[in-house]
Amino acid sequence: MEYYPLPQPEEIPEREKEDAMGAYLMMFAAVAIGLPLPVINLIAAIVYFYLNKSKSRFVYFHSLQSLLSQIPTTLINWALVIWSLNIFFTDRIISDEFIAYAIVAGIANIFYFIFSLIAAFKARKGKMYYFLLFGKLSYGIVFKVKENEMGTIENKPPF
Amino acid sequence: MTFEIKRQESNSRGELLLRTFFGFFYIGIPHAFLMFFASLWGSILTFISFWTILFTGRYPESYFEYNLGLMRWSARVNASFFNMIDGYPAFGTSSSHPDVLVDIPYPENLSRGTLLLKFFLGIFYVLLPHGICLFFLALASNLVLFISWWAVLFTGKFPASLHEFLLGYLRWNFRVNAYMSYMTDKYPPFSLS
Repeated sequence: MEYYPLPQPEEIPEREKEDAMGAYLMMFAAVAIGLPLPVINLIAAIVYFYLNKSKSRFVYFHSLQSLLSQIPTTLINWALVIWSLNIFFTDRIISDEFIAYAIVAGIANIFYFIFSLIAAFKARKGKMYYFLLFGKLSYGIVFKVKENEMGTIENKPPF
Repeated sequence: MTFEIKRQESNSRGELLLRTFFGFFYIGIPHAFLMFFASLWGSILTFISFWTILFTGRYPESYFEYNLGLMRWSARVNASFFNMIDGYPAFGTSSSHPDVLVDIPYPENLSRGTLLLKFFLGIFYVLLPHGICLFFLALASNLVLFISWWAVLFTGKFPASLHEFLLGYLRWNFRVNAYMSYMTDKYPPFSLS
């Protein structure tokens, strides 16, 4: 399996570093437009990904990693919002299970926030930063040399 | 900083009437619909830019270009509604109009102190004084717009002095907007020119 070489910080233009950094800051999109819905951040990350993926592999990688890492957080937050609304509009009794879930969701968000900020700072310096699972996945998608990109191989060796 | 709308040699009376009676439907609604979403995106980028300037002292270049494109788009639509240009204003942040020239030189570095000043006290030292001036200018602009409408209808030309006044009004708005969007550190002057 072949991979494209990773760009080094000094080779990456300032503009691309800023664009890569911006991908992680899409987690603030909901705050920016004043609509505290978890899905806003995901929509912003999707829009950002499609606007930036053609710029360079470095920007493509960070945009994709940011987008993929946002999916579980969005699902966790949505579940919390729906559960909260359900409690508010029905019996209004907060169960222990709900409290436990809210704590887990809170911790997940704090972790996501911290790691995204670290990734944003690294991207600003032109460095790669790999999240657990999503890092490898994004690297594979962005940097793997696809067969059709190598052109048609007409002549082959004898063995 | 450049904000120019070239005065046309002659204005079309047919387009003037079309814009007056149906402009809301064929220019206003489609542009407002798309600009709403484009502005939402712009506000997200501005929010991120705020933090980026605070930490790095730089406005991300691609965000700057997007927001400038948004201002150019808005200038085209305004110029069209003010009957200053003929033709349908182009959609999008990367489009342009030969008679509408809007530009802000990209600042390599922005002051963090000014950024915080704008954020916390901008309403008092920018929006309030400029807002008062712009409010009276807006009233005057409506009158000027009315007079220029009749002038264009009868003569087919936009009077130069009225054109200058409306251009000055739009330019003033633009400069305040650019300053408050953190795109420049230069305080907007109280001037039409």
